[in-house]
Amino acid sequence: MNIKQQVVTNFGSELARFEADWRSQVERIKARFKEAVEGISFPGTDFTDVPIVRVKPTSLIELLSFMKIEAGFDYDFCADFTASDESPREPRFDIIYNLFSTTRHNRIRVKMGIAESEEAPSIRSLWAGADWSEREIWDMFGVRFEGRPNIRRILMDNRWKGHPLRKDYSIYSYQIFPNPEPPYPEYLEDE
Amino acid sequence: MGKDGSTSIFTTKLDVLANWGRKNALWPLPFGTSCCGIEMMATLCSDYDMSRFGAEVVRFSPRQSDLLICAGIINSKMAPVLKTIYDQMTEPKWVMSFGACASSGGIFNVYSVAQGIDTIIPVDVYVPGCPPAPEGVIHALMSLQEAIMQGRTRAQIREKFNQDISPINFLKEKQ
Repeated sequence: MNIKQQVVTNFGSELARFEADWRSQVERIKARFKEAVEGISFPGTDFTDVPIVRVKPTSLIELLSFMKIEAGFDYDFCADFTASDESPREPRFDIIYNLFSTTRHNRIRVKMGIAESEEAPSIRSLWAGADWSEREIWDMFGVRFEGRPNIRRILMDNRWKGHPLRKDYSIYSYQIFPNPEPPYPEYLEDE
Repeated sequence: MGKDGSTSIFTTKLDVLANWGRKNALWPLPFGTSCCGIEMMATLCSDYDMSRFGAEVVRFSPRQSDLLICAGIINSKMAPVLKTIYDQMTEPKWVMSFGACASSGGIFNVYSVAQGIDTIIPVDVYVPGCPPAPEGVIHALMSLQEAIMQGRTRAQIREKFNQDISPINFLKEKQ
């Protein structure tokens, strides 16, 4: 069975160039990061449309900054940055970074497993826009980030209890607050 | 005055006169949060023309309106906003729950959506549909006018007996 045919891509005629790029990039990542890379899924052999690099939390910042700056990579845009609850697997959460190169026009995905008790490394030093994504991940999944002890919610009400996109959160547990939110003077100042 | 100059007198009770004035001069506040708002606009426009029933003066300030038309989904972030706007309106005030989402949560049976605005504010008339047809809205408006004339809306009962009533008591009283 050819897995490549199962994943529909819209890369069109550029697919060949992307594949050549990805192959050389994956080899360079393997050579440089060695055992920090837990595994690489590649389109064609695995069920994915772009390569997925699994990395240990300790070398995440190093890998992402390498991929952002290094010639031949140029993944200078963090297109999306989200999480998923993989329970009952350990570590529980996957943090997923979708990167895009504005010069080479190809994409790559980096995944990092993080346990519930751990703090995920913050990538705000690389992309300032990751701030809101980190707040969203905290809001929806309850994953904490390094250097942000007072992180606050972005979508749900501040009085909300729990994190709605966790697998153990019932989607029917409504929390409706008829009264307006009390003012939080500490939020007027930036973190 | 009659045509021949004689005086014609029409006797009535003062509250009936007041109710007649109220029902024919409903000033709606459009609280359109989603697609139902489009249908509300269609009802207000010339084809269906809600001004035939005296409800054409659309005000975007709660201080100047007395009919809150809640058209669309109310999620948990919007619930305090709706409550604040309702509290800002002056008595007597009426609420129309417009469409399935405002009436019961509709298809959105999830954690972030209020299951009907009657969990937050008192509602006088519900319009079913997803979204409701303009005819349904006009029927709801006429039902509300009828209720105002008979003095059995929530605002008027509040005014008369100086106490708020729950939806269950309201249904019992109607039967």
